Amino acid sequence: MSSPKISMAELEHIAKLARINLSESEKNTFLPQLESVLNSFDVLNQINTDNIEPTFRVNKQSNVFHQDEVGESLPQSIALSTANITKDGYFVVTNTIKK
Amino acid sequence: MDYSTLSIQQIRQLLLDKKTTATEITKFFIDRVKNIDPKINAFITITEKEALKQAEILDAKITKGEKIGKLAGSIMAVKDIFLTKDIQTTSSSQVLKGYIPQYSSTIYQKLIDEDAIIIGKTNTDPFAFGGSTENSGFFTSKNPWNLEMVPGGSSGGSAAATAANLCHFALGTDTGGSIRQPASLCGVSGLKPTFGLNSRYGITSMASSFDCPGVFARTVADIATVTQITAGHDSNDATSIDQSIPDYTQLLDSVNLSGLKIGLPKEYFSSAINNEVKDKVMETAKLFESKGAILKEVSLPSTDLGLAVYYILVPSEISSNMARYDGIRFGQTIPDSTDIISYYMNTRGQFMEPEVKRRILIGTYALSSGYYDAYYTKAAKVRTLIKKEFTDVLSEVDVILAPCSPTTAWKIGEKVNDPLEMYLADIYTVCINVAGVPSIALPCGFDSQKLPIGFQLIGNFFEESKIISIGHQYQQITSFHTEVPKL
Repeated sequence: MSSPKISMAELEHIAKLARINLSESEKNTFLPQLESVLNSFDVLNQINTDNIEPTFRVNKQSNVFHQDEVGESLPQSIALSTANITKDGYFVVTNTIKK
Repeated sequence: MDYSTLSIQQIRQLLLDKKTTATEITKFFIDRVKNIDPKINAFITITEKEALKQAEILDAKITKGEKIGKLAGSIMAVKDIFLTKDIQTTSSSQVLKGYIPQYSSTIYQKLIDEDAIIIGKTNTDPFAFGGSTENSGFFTSKNPWNLEMVPGGSSGGSAAATAANLCHFALGTDTGGSIRQPASLCGVSGLKPTFGLNSRYGITSMASSFDCPGVFARTVADIATVTQITAGHDSNDATSIDQSIPDYTQLLDSVNLSGLKIGLPKEYFSSAINNEVKDKVMETAKLFESKGAILKEVSLPSTDLGLAVYYILVPSEISSNMARYDGIRFGQTIPDSTDIISYYMNTRGQFMEPEVKRRILIGTYALSSGYYDAYYTKAAKVRTLIKKEFTDVLSEVDVILAPCSPTTAWKIGEKVNDPLEMYLADIYTVCINVAGVPSIALPCGFDSQKLPIGFQLIGNFFEESKIISIGHQYQQITSFHTEVPKL
């Protein structure tokens, strides 16, 4: 039996990095599930990947550019129409700096 | 007249001959959906008003003698992760409940421009994360062949709607099998094109180097007609490929089955597969052989690594893509938080479904400091090996024939508490997405419980016309695609 891949403290740290509040019951459910999924990844360790380039894109494209020209865009009022709170044509968010 | 069993071409011809109107076809389908959908729960939103409006516009064109689109009068169902302007788009998640997009996805717009009519938005696993629709933030769709069974997923609503003849075709997306697996479980056809053939613009992103929008229909000929419209470059999607698109509808008979080399990958017929599925898929291979095709056993040795590669890379891309759901610009929110970090955490904690959270957590773990090389880079390197195995095999044979799913549809609830068990259902589809090649799923029979069995034809990059032609010819000599569930 190998040592656990993820501890409760790590799970809580990861959840914080991912900006997701987890209830105690969710943590207890997810911990063994993530452990079992992470263990299933061990199969890759048997494979020698020295001198193999990683693939991030399956096709050969890279650096797709277009001309820097002004095109059509949504009017401000429409762009804001799905926001929960707006004021004077802006999105409103909670305090970002603690006093 | 029963419009539900007609092809896209037949519907268009009826309109051209003025034997019916788009409004009459649309009303027929609205009634049909209202009668049948309560049994299978394929739809999240039925777009009655929008459909009748689109039909009215089309009828006015016909009355005035104007040119009509290639999909005129065809009824389409749209997976609820495609943005549809002014029509609620939820991605089957509580996160986006009530979200009304300000613009439409490229593919949906192209189809509307060809006079297709939207009948509704279909259920999926939330943001397409899953293989059964059971992760949906709203409800689970049911398999039209047996209402106790899952329709597969994630595009399970679209597959079920197509199987129940509630549309002429349906849009789905295939990131790891989400078109082919539900097509197989519901007994319909579905195309996962080459990555980059169909634009991803305006579709809620899951994994940006994997997501492949595509189409379900009962016949391959209809898939060819729709793909002819959807395929092509879109400057709004940086991964969309800029190259000429062949006329799939004119190439339906282009491949000669006699002498066609078909590869049967031995890893796809191993112990994991249910015997009834294996037998039907082998019968299918033998049928091709009887038409002159040459069967050859081939090997894709890294098949067993596919799931690990997929479930590292895809959640990694998910964890990045899902960062946009911050509750500020769109989506449901918990507004009364003291600071911005708790605002994000409360909102995402409250509205994201368990599978959404799990995948973000796996991805965040794989990308986090200290683990990045061991997981993400390692998986990306093995991706290189898997892709090479496919292109190597496809230089020896013309096409690969394999099952889509190791089993037929399973009981609702059976796998829901074990994510790893659910992931294993993708074993025959994920490697194709890891490699990026195209694959088409087709029905090839039923098991002893009368549940559909499907197979897939996998081609090399941009060989859609080849696999479409082989699939079409298969449907000329078989009738599985014409069978309809009793509802």
